[in-house]
Amino acid sequence: MLLPLPEKLWNRYAAAHLLNRAGFGGTPAEIEALYSRGMDGAVEHLLNAPNDEDLFPRPPMMEPAKRVEYQKHLKNAPTEEERVKVRKAFFSDERAEILALRLWWLNRMRYTTDPLLEKVTLFWHGHFATSNQKVNDPYLMWLQNETLRQHALGKFPVMLKAMSQDPAMIRWLDLNQSSKQHPNENFAREVMELFSLGEGHYSEMDVTEAARAFTGYRVTPETAAFHMVPNAHDSGMKTFLGKTGAFTGDQILDLIVLQPQCARFIGKRLWQFFVAESPNDETISEVADILMNNGYDVAKTLRVIFRSSLFYSQAVVHHQIKGPVQWMIQTTRMLEIPLPDAKVLENSMTALGQVLFAPPNVKGWDGGRAWISASSLLYRYNLAAYLLSGKAHILGGGGTKTAQLPLENIAPPSTRESCNLLLEPLAFRIFNVPISTRDFATYMNYINKQTPPYSDNAVRDLMQIMMGTPEFQLN
Amino acid sequence: MKTPQEQTLHTRREFLRTSFLGGALASTVPLFLEKTFLTLDSMAAATTGQYATGKDSTILVVLQMAGGNDGLNMLVPYGDDAYYKARPRIAIPSNSVLKINDYAGLHPKLTGLRDLYGSGSLGLIQGVGYPNPNRSHFRSTEIWQTASDSGHNESVGWIGRYFDSCCKGSDPSVGVSIGGQTPQAFASPHPKGIAFSDPSQFRYMSEAASNPKMAEQFMREMNSPNENMGHGGLADNSGGSIGMISGSPDTAGDTLDFLQRTALGAEMSSDKILEIIRKSRSSVDYPRSQLGNSLNLVGRLIQGGLPTRVYYASQGGFDTHANQLPSHDRLMTDLNAALTSFVGDLKAQGNYDRVLVLTFSEFGRRVAENASGGTDHGAAAPLFVLGGAVKPGLYGTYPSLTDLYEGDLKFHTDFRSVYATALEKWLGAPSEQVLGRKYPILPFI
Repeated sequence: MLLPLPEKLWNRYAAAHLLNRAGFGGTPAEIEALYSRGMDGAVEHLLNAPNDEDLFPRPPMMEPAKRVEYQKHLKNAPTEEERVKVRKAFFSDERAEILALRLWWLNRMRYTTDPLLEKVTLFWHGHFATSNQKVNDPYLMWLQNETLRQHALGKFPVMLKAMSQDPAMIRWLDLNQSSKQHPNENFAREVMELFSLGEGHYSEMDVTEAARAFTGYRVTPETAAFHMVPNAHDSGMKTFLGKTGAFTGDQILDLIVLQPQCARFIGKRLWQFFVAESPNDETISEVADILMNNGYDVAKTLRVIFRSSLFYSQAVVHHQIKGPVQWMIQTTRMLEIPLPDAKVLENSMTALGQVLFAPPNVKGWDGGRAWISASSLLYRYNLAAYLLSGKAHILGGGGTKTAQLPLENIAPPSTRESCNLLLEPLAFRIFNVPISTRDFATYMNYINKQTPPYSDNAVRDLMQIMMGTPEFQLN
Repeated sequence: MKTPQEQTLHTRREFLRTSFLGGALASTVPLFLEKTFLTLDSMAAATTGQYATGKDSTILVVLQMAGGNDGLNMLVPYGDDAYYKARPRIAIPSNSVLKINDYAGLHPKLTGLRDLYGSGSLGLIQGVGYPNPNRSHFRSTEIWQTASDSGHNESVGWIGRYFDSCCKGSDPSVGVSIGGQTPQAFASPHPKGIAFSDPSQFRYMSEAASNPKMAEQFMREMNSPNENMGHGGLADNSGGSIGMISGSPDTAGDTLDFLQRTALGAEMSSDKILEIIRKSRSSVDYPRSQLGNSLNLVGRLIQGGLPTRVYYASQGGFDTHANQLPSHDRLMTDLNAALTSFVGDLKAQGNYDRVLVLTFSEFGRRVAENASGGTDHGAAAPLFVLGGAVKPGLYGTYPSLTDLYEGDLKFHTDFRSVYATALEKWLGAPSEQVLGRKYPILPFI
């Protein structure tokens, strides 16, 4: 049962856990502020955080109309050389735009006033995994990101319909090539397999029939607006999930969300992202009921989850492997430093295996243990060492010095006098959980080789050792 | 007589004791090693058959030609008028083709490969592709990397599935990819294999610390598995309050334990790779290109006895939409030089007979040239298999240049047949288990 955590068990570790899972962590001061609100107050604070839209104007991107113009220009180029030149310039602009878009979102996660909204948007990006590698239009990727954000904490059926009419999605899963004469099954299959029901809960015939209903979905190039082309739409009778009618795409989605399995599927995905990888059946049923009884309201469902004692239990806390984006945002927040420069950031996210707007495929990122290989783990250790030391060569291939670590905040002079004063707050900042006796002893052993008052170098080295551990990879 | 598992275990233990953890930590070694080796042992025992490593067994080198290589200008159908009709500007003149038979021949820059064909270790597989070809780089690459059907989205890579089903308990370096990103072919729910563009970067950069020696020592200590972790939950120091609430057990096994095993494996591989790189020098010259450097590195790692079974390298730049002739010329020159050096290197080492090189590209290109003196995305294309054990020859038939599928060559050989052959005949792996289906085995090995 998802019973709420008794208020007397609410402590700083619990507040830190909530901030890590519902957002991207924070400094001890931010954890303290959240703790002081009490559990209900903390959850409500996260669910009703101030809007940050004005702080993050969208990066400059080629608008759809300009893209159409470019295509005309390309077509009318008088010479072959001219054409090659125009195309080259265009590709280079496009490349710069997608890099800027990535940077824009990562910075938004880093500095947002509404971390839960960004975290849930990241969840949906992995759920409706769409890659610019096929879409090839940063503007459409940005548009989808805005749509995901708009519905992130709203009602799933509304989100699902919005995604079926989203220009990037339409291109990604070939809806723009699906017509009455030649229905394309890509979207129809994935909308059930990956977005709503899961494999085994529909038949091949359901795929074929749904594909007919989604024919005629098009995007107006000049405005990137969705529209239906009646001539390309198959308005005939379809039999889908046991019902027969002249279903439209929207009606297909209505039938899908009526399935209890859809609530179970979405409930499980939410649980796996925010809580734990292998929920038991009973828990999934309970989350599914909450979704069903509230019109699939995501905010309401998350409220119950974030207040539940299960969420704060021993099997959950510090048992989730941080994804690369989570690792990067949480680490820079915790260290009170900006994100590394754009080049290092892009290389790092590539090496760690999570490039935004470029999930490996429509299934999104596998997450969990799939984040970790020998290479990516070593890279995480070295990335931490780079962020702490600012030594540009640590990650190879250049990069600039990172911002100065605010060591006077992280380990104020008052904590430099004895090992106990130094270690406890530092370990809390870095791990957010009580550390094991053995780890404690090892760190003590290290500090005792230094002479108080501990120098900046000694503190920084200790942090490097702490962050180059399996424990630091966990939330 | 020891079983292969015991042998491996013994070697590992020796390796760890002697080289992995140096003097200062030696006293802690026996404590945690037993647990690790129990795990490794049970993992090794779970695999059936021989536990082979690339130290003494066969090795596969996968070479990706990224961007869609123009197979028609690599294995040129110079005996076909349709070729010259479709490509008035960019066809390779018949008098410069390196003729293999009276129909097809190699690109003029592939002189080294022609010699290898003549001396008996190059196979050319013609018309390789798959049903319902996709012309998107991204999607078609994904199809080749995951060995999936065109209409099915699969996220696990074909080599990843091979590691999963046949290399349990092996070192992380069972797969090595030269490049900044692990290829999707290695992808798996339990990722194996390592990726680096510069081996000197595949290590813990302790010099970031002000006292690197101490940082290194403590880093290793913190990354060594130990008994009684007693971590997790909020129990330890919080007066038992939150820890009293029991949650469902961590059914997926202990995540921290998994991370520790990965860390240990990373250190072992890193130590080994750095040792090899320090010691080894190539006896031949490689071209100073990205591909040349990659194959040079692979050559040194093979020579050094890394237990890798699959290496992965790539060459980019094949997306030749415009003014193709000079750029494709350069690519062929580089490919020829890098592969020829690699073969020379392996021969000098005495390892040529246990290495198989397999090239692939996500698609070939359209039969007809475009208005920009280039070619657009196509479908079926030839690929190379190269190695001391390869039976030379042309396999399959050259696809017709006039009986086309939407302007593209029709495939005759499913690329998964090539994979199946490499798996069965070279790596000794059950291809049906790895590829999910039985594919015809080709006679090139």
